[in-house]
Amino acid sequence: MIKKYTAVLKINWIHALEYRANALVGVVAILSGLFIEYQIWNLIFLSQGVESIKGFSFQELMIFIFLSIMVGQLKSSWHTSGEMIEGIRTGDINKYLIRPISYFNYHFMMFIGVNSLYYTVYSLLLLVTIIVFPGLLFPSIINIIGFILALSISVFLSYSIYYIMICCAFWFGEVRAIIVAYNLSMIILSGQYIPIRLFPDNVLDIIKLTPLLYLVDFPVSIATGRMPIEDWGFNFIVSIGWCIIMWFIGSLVYNRGIRNYEAYGS
Amino acid sequence: MRLMALRLIHLWLAFFRNSLSRNMEYKMNFILDLFIDAIFYGSYFFFFSVIFSYVDSLGDFSKDAVIIFLIITYLTDSVFVFFFGSNTFQVNRMVVKGDLDLLLLKPVNSLFFISFRYVATYSIISTILLSGLLLRLTYIYPAPIGFINYLVFFISFSMGILILYSLEFLVSCLVFWYKNFSVGGWLCSELTKYSRRPDSIYSGTLQKLLFSFFPMAMISSLPARMLIFGPDYYMLLAQLFITTLALLLTIFVWNQGLIRYDSASS
Repeated sequence: MIKKYTAVLKINWIHALEYRANALVGVVAILSGLFIEYQIWNLIFLSQGVESIKGFSFQELMIFIFLSIMVGQLKSSWHTSGEMIEGIRTGDINKYLIRPISYFNYHFMMFIGVNSLYYTVYSLLLLVTIIVFPGLLFPSIINIIGFILALSISVFLSYSIYYIMICCAFWFGEVRAIIVAYNLSMIILSGQYIPIRLFPDNVLDIIKLTPLLYLVDFPVSIATGRMPIEDWGFNFIVSIGWCIIMWFIGSLVYNRGIRNYEAYGS
Repeated sequence: MRLMALRLIHLWLAFFRNSLSRNMEYKMNFILDLFIDAIFYGSYFFFFSVIFSYVDSLGDFSKDAVIIFLIITYLTDSVFVFFFGSNTFQVNRMVVKGDLDLLLLKPVNSLFFISFRYVATYSIISTILLSGLLLRLTYIYPAPIGFINYLVFFISFSMGILILYSLEFLVSCLVFWYKNFSVGGWLCSELTKYSRRPDSIYSGTLQKLLFSFFPMAMISSLPARMLIFGPDYYMLLAQLFITTLALLLTIFVWNQGLIRYDSASS
């Protein structure tokens, strides 16, 4: 069974390699995004004459935002979700219904496969950052392991949230607007451009009740050593809990949706 | 010349009528597009509200000025989408699929046709709402804003839209050289991010660059300056020069692209 899905991963990995310009634009996006944030926060630190803001020195803040933009891109899906919605709308999903393959797992592998080129390029970028700014990222080996685990959870959680929204296409046909709106709001709300802990307290209190905390902030906090190791266990349990909840809701929505599905487009 | 201009205006009105009747068939999309706009505006507003919880002003721009700047940014986006938003990124699809052949056979200027064919009519609503909001905000702005400010703002704003169009269209034209440049939209959104921040956050050479070779500050920041701080005729002239240059470059690149176009997929 694993072989079946790794084949999907491999195909999408090869496909992603054909479009190397995507990775280049991805790197431009990260560096350019970081550069703009650098300008804003530099102005704020200089004009306020402060050494740190909510425990972040300027350099620490930049590294945090840099990694947040990177994680934010790895967990976001434009291509796979677009293809899945199109599949439901046009009846292309039929082929998954008659084959011994899980719709969820197949597209999850596709989601990772499409982003695979970014994983490679961003890992190199990360390596360069670790060499240039020693001590600011991954204070110990355990942080690297923790980061990889938290990133995996973030990717799965993010995909599960997308999956729920995509399955709404069984009723509404076109849910692209919901995905676009979600992606746009997540850029800010998941903490890609401003760390969540700099948000106002009332907003932060609400975010803590949602899985948003585990999309970007959790892996980045582990990587930067900002989260004490004794808090990891609790957060890992909660994030896995969110994954199970989201996966369960997704399965429920899919099963209801597939009963409703009439394959109009096929 | 006058006759040609009249003909093109009539043609655009026909495009508008056609787009309106098409869009009214999908009323839900109409509402969802407005929903996406609202999320986009809300995210940016939230971003700056977090920034302003740490600082009182961003250079010359006070909090009130930044809110006006934001409304101008939204308005720029809205007007741009109205005229060009549904067209610029069709270029990639048309070239890849070979659909450009049909367009080139039409007895009308191909650049005009591809740039104006579809009108995003839903943007009228956001444009009206934002214009009303801008008028209200400028009315209650602490410093007086005179009629001349509005007049110069309108000219500068129109030129800003044309600069944005040129950038988006030039990036789209890269498909002629790369055969498939589906990441054009992403690249553009990253490049235009510089226009979505007040120019006062940039300094030195970068600020000069943003007002010249990479004129992102001329899209929203300069019109905002004209409205809030009063006319700067030297900058207005510079903007006119840049806009003319950008439009000429667009025509040149489009013609060069057409020479390279080999209609491979048709």
